[in-house]
Amino acid sequence: MSEQGARILIVDDEPQIRKLLKVTLQAHRFTIHEASTGEEGVLQAMMSQPDLIVLDLGLPDISGMEVLGRIRDWSSAPIIVLTVKDREEDKIAALDGGADDYVTKPFFMGELVARINVALRHAAKSTNEPVLQFDGLTINLAQRIVELNGERVRLTPTEYDLLKILASNAGKVVTQRQLLQQVWGSQHNESDSHYLRIYIGHLRKKLEEDSTMPRFIVTEPGIGYRFKSREY
Amino acid sequence: MHRLHSLWLTYRSYAGITLLVALMTMVLQPLEFAFDLVNIALIYLFPVLLSAVYWGLGPAFYAAVLSILAFDFFFVPPTLSFTVKDLSYLISFGVYLAVAALTASLAARLKQQLAYSRQRETHTAALYALSRQMSAITDIHSLLDNVALQVEKTIGTNIAIYMPDDRNKLAQTHGSAAPGEWGQGNMEQVIASLVFEHGEEAGNGTNTLRDSPGYYLPLRTEDRIYGVLAINLKERKGGISTEQRRLLEALAGLTASAIARVKLAEEAKIAHLTAESERLRTAILDSVSHELRTPLAAIIGSATSLIEGDLLFSAEDRMELLLNIRDGALRMNRLVANLLSMVRVESGMLRLKKNWCDVEDLIGVALSQVKAFQEHRRMKVRIPESVPMVRGDEVLLEQLLVNVISNAIKYSPDRSEIIIAVTPAEDKLVISVADEGIGLAEEDYDRIFEKFYRSDVARQFTGTGLGLAICKGIAELHGGTIIASPNVPKGSVIAITLPVDESAVPQDIEKESDGYE
Repeated sequence: MSEQGARILIVDDEPQIRKLLKVTLQAHRFTIHEASTGEEGVLQAMMSQPDLIVLDLGLPDISGMEVLGRIRDWSSAPIIVLTVKDREEDKIAALDGGADDYVTKPFFMGELVARINVALRHAAKSTNEPVLQFDGLTINLAQRIVELNGERVRLTPTEYDLLKILASNAGKVVTQRQLLQQVWGSQHNESDSHYLRIYIGHLRKKLEEDSTMPRFIVTEPGIGYRFKSREY
Repeated sequence: MHRLHSLWLTYRSYAGITLLVALMTMVLQPLEFAFDLVNIALIYLFPVLLSAVYWGLGPAFYAAVLSILAFDFFFVPPTLSFTVKDLSYLISFGVYLAVAALTASLAARLKQQLAYSRQRETHTAALYALSRQMSAITDIHSLLDNVALQVEKTIGTNIAIYMPDDRNKLAQTHGSAAPGEWGQGNMEQVIASLVFEHGEEAGNGTNTLRDSPGYYLPLRTEDRIYGVLAINLKERKGGISTEQRRLLEALAGLTASAIARVKLAEEAKIAHLTAESERLRTAILDSVSHELRTPLAAIIGSATSLIEGDLLFSAEDRMELLLNIRDGALRMNRLVANLLSMVRVESGMLRLKKNWCDVEDLIGVALSQVKAFQEHRRMKVRIPESVPMVRGDEVLLEQLLVNVISNAIKYSPDRSEIIIAVTPAEDKLVISVADEGIGLAEEDYDRIFEKFYRSDVARQFTGTGLGLAICKGIAELHGGTIIASPNVPKGSVIAITLPVDESAVPQDIEKESDGYE
């Protein structure tokens, strides 16, 4: 499934983590570039023009957030940030600041590779696909029709908008703020997060067999939601 | 009418005396021949003594003079004339006046003493009341409120209390004065600071700043000054009496020692906490060193085996060792995560990021977290159709649920049933996790939430005794509770109660139609 030969830049100050990523990702046929500091990372991002960047947020010289911002200024290459647990605010800041996804340390290697593949695919994909197909779920964006196992699912406008945003970012995490902004506009307030949860609950009731074991819309606690599909 | 009344009050003693003397004269005159003159003179002392005791010096003299005149006029020969034939009577008259003066002043002093002891009694009562209230109060703020109230009641004027803040700068903390009124002014602040620094009283009637309208007293014990009590005497002519001053000093002393007591209690609490953390540190060292070393030994052993004896192992052996490394590392990861959570919850540094949380969603996430090790245990979720959302930190609440459900899995046999039930109550939500596991001894149900406590039955399983302590911390941070009880017929139930504030829930969303094509 890997996008073979894609160039990946790893920015991490820990040699052990760099080595682990390098060995594993090379085995998955990626080409690896490395940087051990933030400054070097920004420089390498320009020099090697990577297709994807794996960025550790805890760097010794400049903050990972700054590296993220400086790369995002001119590059649209997907960036996956590595963070430690319990720093949800960092994750949200990074995601809202232009990162495409995050992986919490310590991570399972398979999880990271899957995230890399999703991000590369999204970067390569043409944006105007009229029909999104998932495991039993079809979303016809042109006609605004949702079908589950061949049967039409009736959704309210808000539910449909939410599903559309999540599904077109399938495999990627979408933060609560991103959802609120895209569905309710920039005027959203604190109580809208309450509505967001209610609508997600409604969506799950209509799409999932068991809402406590969701198949499609998975909660990332404290961050947002991720549309999961067997495709990835 | 009113003036007449007050006039009557002032002069009724004189009228009474006049009436009494007149009556006595009327009664005694017909008996003149039966009594000796000396006896009659003695009877005439009666109104003098009476008025001295009841009415004081003035009426006593009046009674004496009136009695002398009546005695002289009606009884001393020649009768019905003020002339005195025997000049020795003049000496008697002198004695009369002297007796009147002496008894009156004695009686007056007696009266004064009575009033004085009455006042002392009220002061003592005030002090007693204050000290009784003080011993029951454990925080300085309400203590000083009480003092302010009590002083105002006894002295009858408004007051201000100044206390040093964190940077030892004096500021008014209590008093009856509203902002901008007495006590807030620059002058008052300066004098209060002066008193605070020197520990001596100042202001009205003292040696320092005698003419100031306020009286300032340090709140001091033998070794420290805790603050300043200021009394506003601006609207009070003549200041305060020595007796009141003494009362205020006593009150100030009492207040100071009460503050000292509260402070000492606080310090003792800190000392206790320090001792507790010392005990904890030992427990952490014991527990952590064991819990860290065991998986480390497995990891290092397996890894070195693989490196050194690469050719000796079959593919299965190799996988076995690799899984061993992974499991050991995961175990260490859990331990480190738990330790960090414990420290955060304990240290009070944790800031809750409160958000609306859907309990059904939280349970779903928690279940997906434990999926990897639930084996064949049947997880049943019983959740009503509509459950109010709770305000909380979803990451922490998820951790709370994961810990509780993991525990249920850990201490129950494979293929048993674990029931997670949500029950909304009036202003709370109860999430219970019931297992069919080993259960606990009666006395352990309260203790399992203590840090590093491991029940005897749990010792056969690996663990640090941190998980449930973290759960308790998280539940309490959310204003909730967590309790354990036995399950029927076996196992245990952990019930988490979280508060629900229905009034804070945003208005229900407008109904959207889902009928669009």
